[in-house]
Amino acid sequence: MTALVETEDLKKHYGMGNTVVRALDGVSIRVSEGEFLALQGTSGSGKSTLLSLIAGLDRPTSGMLRIDGNDISSMSGEELSRHRRQNVGIIFQSFNLVSTMSALENVTLSMMFDGIAKPERDQRAAQLLESMGLGGRQHHKPKELSGGEQQRVAISRALANKPRLLLADEPTGNLDSRTSREIMELLKTLNEREGKAIILVTHDASLASQYAHRTITLMDGMVQTELPS
Amino acid sequence: MTLGDTISLSLRNLRQSKLRTALTTLGVSIGVASLAGMVSLGVGLQEQILGRFLQSGVFDAITVTSPSLLGVPGAFLSGREAARGGLRGGGRGGSRQPGPTLNEDAVKQISAIDNVREAYPNLRVPVQMTLGDFSRAITAAGVPMSSRGEGTFQSLSYGQFFANDSDSACILSLDLAKQIAEHDPGSITDKSLTLSYAASHKDGDESDPGNVFQVRRVDVQCRVVGIVERDTSPLLAGGGGFASGLTIPLGLAKTIDAEVVANAQSFLREPSQPKSYGSITVKVKQAQFTQDVEARIRALGYTAFSVIDALRGAKNAFIVLDIVLSLIGSIALAVSLLGIVNTMVMSILERTHEIGIMKAIGASDNDIRRIFLVEASGIGLMGGLLGIALGWGVGRVINFGANVYIRSQGGTGGTLFSLPLWLVASAIAFSIVVSLIAGSYPASRAARLDPIQALRHD
Repeated sequence: MTALVETEDLKKHYGMGNTVVRALDGVSIRVSEGEFLALQGTSGSGKSTLLSLIAGLDRPTSGMLRIDGNDISSMSGEELSRHRRQNVGIIFQSFNLVSTMSALENVTLSMMFDGIAKPERDQRAAQLLESMGLGGRQHHKPKELSGGEQQRVAISRALANKPRLLLADEPTGNLDSRTSREIMELLKTLNEREGKAIILVTHDASLASQYAHRTITLMDGMVQTELPS
Repeated sequence: MTLGDTISLSLRNLRQSKLRTALTTLGVSIGVASLAGMVSLGVGLQEQILGRFLQSGVFDAITVTSPSLLGVPGAFLSGREAARGGLRGGGRGGSRQPGPTLNEDAVKQISAIDNVREAYPNLRVPVQMTLGDFSRAITAAGVPMSSRGEGTFQSLSYGQFFANDSDSACILSLDLAKQIAEHDPGSITDKSLTLSYAASHKDGDESDPGNVFQVRRVDVQCRVVGIVERDTSPLLAGGGGFASGLTIPLGLAKTIDAEVVANAQSFLREPSQPKSYGSITVKVKQAQFTQDVEARIRALGYTAFSVIDALRGAKNAFIVLDIVLSLIGSIALAVSLLGIVNTMVMSILERTHEIGIMKAIGASDNDIRRIFLVEASGIGLMGGLLGIALGWGVGRVINFGANVYIRSQGGTGGTLFSLPLWLVASAIAFSIVVSLIAGSYPASRAARLDPIQALRHD
């Protein structure tokens, strides 16, 4: 399988006063097309930082990061934003929906930034919400939706521009166990049926082992273990 | 992201915080209203005053003087040129060449220029005016019959204009009439007053120098045919007005002028030397020819001056007035622009998380910047429209009030505030542009937000 994501000696250092925080300190991983990878680690291990770099929300300090063969670190701001809206779909722990917009508007937003015409994006958003079982809740604001429903809206939004890679940062962290299972099943379905590659950041070892094809554990900004290797 | 989507997203954001948008817009509109109101006042005053100039019928008049007048052409001309605001000088001031004499020949020469309707000398004759107990040494101004209905003579408070050019009649100014009969100036109309002057002795023997100074007193009975409301200012005397308050027909003035002994020079004048005039007035057929004719008269060697020159000076003065008024108006606009900056900065602070989300799902820095710039210009547009409406309304109210006051003081009302279309359009455009400038700092701040930090922000 071809490598969708490839990093080599990837480093991200933050200056905090006089000390340097080595959030990532030489990470080399490969994520294949259609793979379901779990990134595991304690808080501060660098797993979220790695996800941010792959998402194009931040730039690495050094090292190589290629998405689909394109080097992220050499991209301009404009190219990075295109990468974010076309290549990846991000799902957050706290859903990160725009509170003043309805479910439908939230899903159309990323398509709006991609310049897709209103009729087309409305139709696609409605379809996505329908497929998530939110057909009747399109015009509800995030506050009027349950946590699970909000995360489904967020997943719909992540899928809107048809990325090949989904990045999920603790997607079940704010959900109860039953809803968590539903969301994980949904991600699994997307991975299996639609061939979306998924990078799941979690601190829950059981979730990782149950759903991911492979689990990489980070510690102090470095890869500690890779299962199965 | 398309422009349409940017606009709809921006409008959505503005609607989201209605109160804040409304208050900021109101602030901008007050700024625009004050600026537009001030400029409008400047324009209105200019139209009022220049309009009255145009109505006065002196617009087509040129005053011609001889450069050699007073015998010190340099000093006289330079003063004159300076008074004209340094515009288009005759350039003869420094040369000290004696210019052509302003005499009856000059009047004929100038009358022959194309588009000249008429040319006549401005005669000022010194006389003693007597009516009952009232007696005063005064300068009587001669006006041609063509001045009927023009300038000062547009409206007579009492009576009417001269019947003919050699009529033994006179017109007084209201001021002068009041000095004679304070409570009922109108009663002077139709009364006869005596104009006395000294004339050289008709039988004076030229060979006898001792006899030269013999003078005789001539009395002319003049009927007061009319009283005019106001004196024309001396500047506009070329229009046939007068500053002393006493006007007589030009024919009568010529008669007196031919005989009067006003000063020692009159005695010494060679009889063969034709009498020269201090200045002559040239009327052109239409105001548009004024400058052309003025240039031709200058080419003949005379000094020429028209109200157009004065108007040009006045226009410069109005430009200064407009600038001062605009600056005053701009203060309110500047304050309201700080309001825009404040509103936008607050709005960005409030929406930091939302901006983070937008950037995370693919909005570019430019998308974010444009959203906020469109918001700012939206406030500018609404503020501009509302401001113009507000300015117009307030202007109307002040105009109405001012006119009531002016009329109560016996003046004629007019439009003090003028709001031409160009002012409406430029005020709105200005408001948008300035709002964009005000919004550019907050917008680029929003665009530069780090998405990860912004997402952590609540």
